[in-house]
Amino acid sequence: MSRIVDPGAVFVVIAAYDEEPVIGQVIADAKGRFPNVVVVDDGSNDATPELALAAGAVVLRHPVNLGQGAALQTGIVYALRQGAEVIGTLDADGQHSAADLQRMGEALMESGADVALGSRFLGRAEGLPFARRVVLKLAVVLTRWMTGLRLTDVHNGLRVFTASAARRIRITQNRMAHASEILDEIAHQGLRHIEVPVSIRYTEYSLAKGQRISDAIRVIGEMLIGKIAR
Amino acid sequence: MIIQILLTLGLVVLIPYAYAQRATSRLIPVAMTTIGVVGLYFVWLPDHANDLAHLVGVGRGADLVLYCWILISLIVALNLHIVARSNLRLITELARYIALSEPRTPCGMSPRHPAGRTFDAGAPPGER
Repeated sequence: MSRIVDPGAVFVVIAAYDEEPVIGQVIADAKGRFPNVVVVDDGSNDATPELALAAGAVVLRHPVNLGQGAALQTGIVYALRQGAEVIGTLDADGQHSAADLQRMGEALMESGADVALGSRFLGRAEGLPFARRVVLKLAVVLTRWMTGLRLTDVHNGLRVFTASAARRIRITQNRMAHASEILDEIAHQGLRHIEVPVSIRYTEYSLAKGQRISDAIRVIGEMLIGKIAR
Repeated sequence: MIIQILLTLGLVVLIPYAYAQRATSRLIPVAMTTIGVVGLYFVWLPDHANDLAHLVGVGRGADLVLYCWILISLIVALNLHIVARSNLRLITELARYIALSEPRTPCGMSPRHPAGRTFDAGAPPGER
């Protein structure tokens, strides 16, 4: 089932924290393909919000640093209130390409699914260190065990949601566990999802900004505690 | 006798405290109430603690109580973590409300719809 969406109703949400060196380029890339780019500045200490605004993004600012999950949820709520029909997310550290996001949106519309998830393992992962590859593969196995979803990549920030899916998925995990929470919600709510091959370009900058292996243990702990707490 | 009365007072206070925690978690109040009731039982019937210790393979009732105390400490730590998490969720909702109330748009562009809404900290997250 193919759908047609007004480009003005497509919103890209970017969560940013201290991304001064790259945020301008990331927004320029996104603005080249999407008219509505929303940057949620997660309490940056540098000029990230000013640079994002200058690059043409709408900027929402958290007064304190809460984490990527919280920032994405803020951006998604804003986009929905603005009448978004399709919402895409990408990372602010420059490792994603807006061209991939566009292809994911097209694939979502053609498939009639609710969510499109990017997969670096179906596409390309340039410069992915071996240790991180192992952790990501373990996360795939763990996610399959916890949610039953048969995915090839489970911690990829490239995602596209229909508005109805975005309304149903509520991110409560403020920090990195939000990626697992989104998949948990997709499985729990029976949302139709597709995986789309994407390319991720690791740079010295993005590797320094990215997750550490120890974060994986914290993510598992947060997910378990999240299930105990209401 | 004095220690039995003191322990009884402490454990009796624990039960209504556990009931008051039911808004935070389903699991924790049940665990705390169970600990309180079982604790009261063994305070007044200590010989039964020895019998139970032998039954589960622990030498003395005192050792069994020590092991249980370690378990209780872990449950308390988990409860504190959940309370902290709940407070963080409220801070997040407040920060989100502030962020959504003050969108900064590039020159010549304005949001299609006003983003601000009344913030009700008592409302469930989905309704804020």
